Amino acid sequence: MFKQLLLLSAGLILSASALAAGNQYTLGVKGIACPYCAYGVEKRLNKVDGVENVAVDIGDSVVRVTMTEGSTLTESRARTAVKEAGFTLHSFSQAQAKQGESDGQ
Amino acid sequence: MGNKWYAMIAPVITTGALVFSAPLVTHAAPNTFNTALPVAQGEFIWREQAVFRERSSGGPRDRDVSIQALASVLGYGINSRLAVFGAVPYFFNKALDVTTPMGRINRDTDGFGDVTAFARYTLYKNDFTGGTFRIAPVAGVTAPTGEDDERDRFGRLPRMLQTGDGAWDGFGGVVTTYQTLQYQLDAQLLYRENGRHDGFARGDETRFDASLQYRVWPASLENVSGTPGFVYALLESNLVHRDRNEVGGGVDQNSGGTQWLVAPGLQYIGRRWIFEGTVQLPAVSNPHSDALEDDAIVRVGFRRNF
Repeated sequence: MFKQLLLLSAGLILSASALAAGNQYTLGVKGIACPYCAYGVEKRLNKVDGVENVAVDIGDSVVRVTMTEGSTLTESRARTAVKEAGFTLHSFSQAQAKQGESDGQ
Repeated sequence: MGNKWYAMIAPVITTGALVFSAPLVTHAAPNTFNTALPVAQGEFIWREQAVFRERSSGGPRDRDVSIQALASVLGYGINSRLAVFGAVPYFFNKALDVTTPMGRINRDTDGFGDVTAFARYTLYKNDFTGGTFRIAPVAGVTAPTGEDDERDRFGRLPRMLQTGDGAWDGFGGVVTTYQTLQYQLDAQLLYRENGRHDGFARGDETRFDASLQYRVWPASLENVSGTPGFVYALLESNLVHRDRNEVGGGVDQNSGGTQWLVAPGLQYIGRRWIFEGTVQLPAVSNPHSDALEDDAIVRVGFRRNF
C-alpha cells in the first residue's frame, strides 16, 4: 500500500512538472535596464488572462512567464503586453515540454 | 507658478515626475529633473519629494529665504508612448529674513502651491538588449491654484514669498535618456514662459539639465538571477537662466540671472520602490544685481510603482 502511494505521488509530481514545463514561456525583451522598468513589464504581463507568474532575469533581459494549467500564451499577446509596458519583444519561446509534449512553436 | 517654484517642482515632473520626474514619475531617473523612460500603459506611479531650499541675496536688503516643501506627483501611462502627470507642492514653511528700515524682520507663510499638469510623449526609442535610448518632448501648464495675496502684519507678502503667482504658466522642452544596466545618462532642455497677473510676471526660464547615474551595487550582474535592487551613485547638473521679473511697466533689476548647480546623490531602485536623495550646490552663480540665488537644495524622496 505504501509503495502504491509512493508511486502515485511520484507520478503526480512528474505529471505536474510536465504540465508546468509546457506552460512556461521565455521572452527576450529589449530595453529593460533597471528593476523599476522590469516591474512595468511584470505588471502588463500579469494582466494577460491565464498568467500565473512572471519573473524577470534583468541581467539576461529575459522574462519567464508561467501560465495556469490549460492556458497558453501567444507570441502576439506577449508582444502586445511588452509593448504596452514600453519595451520591445525580440524573442519568444515555449519551454521545452517533457514526456513527448510539443513546444507549440 | 514662479521660477523658483518651478525649479522645485521640475524634478518631480518626472517623471515623472513630475516631477514631474518623472520626475517623475517613474524609473531610474534623475532626482532633479525629468526622464524619457516609459510609464506602462494603464499604470500609475507616485512620487513624493521633500525639498529643503536655502536662497539668499546680497545688497542692503540681505535677503535669506528658507523653504521646506513636499512635492507630490502622480503619473499615468495613457499608452506606451504617452504619459501624463499632475503635481502639487505643499509648503510647510516659506520664510524670508530681510533688512528693512524697521530693522531685520521675518515673514513667512505656508500652504498648497500652484498645480502643474504636463504630458510627455516618446517620439523616438531604440531598445536594445540591456538598454534603451529615448527622446521625448514634454509640455505642460501650471495653474494659479496657490495663494498670491497672502498677508501678514506688515501687509501683503512679497511675490516671491507667496505660494502661487496668480498666473497661468506654460512650459515645453525635450528630454532624452540613454540607459544601460550599468549606467544611465539623461539630459533635458526646457523653456518656461511665465504668465502675467496683477501687474507682475516672473521672468521666463531656460534650463539645461544633465545627469549621470552609475550602478555601484551590485557591482556585477553575472551569476545574478532575478531582479535585484540597484544602488546608483548620481551626479547631476542644472544650468538655469531666469529673465528679470516684470513689475508694472518695468522690470525688477534685482531678479533673475544664471546659475549652475551640481548635485551628487544616491538612489536605491527596487522593482516597486525608489528611494533617493541629492544635494544641489551652486558651482557658478551670476545673479542680476542683488537677485536671489540658491545656496543649497536638499531633496529626499521616494517613488512607488503601483
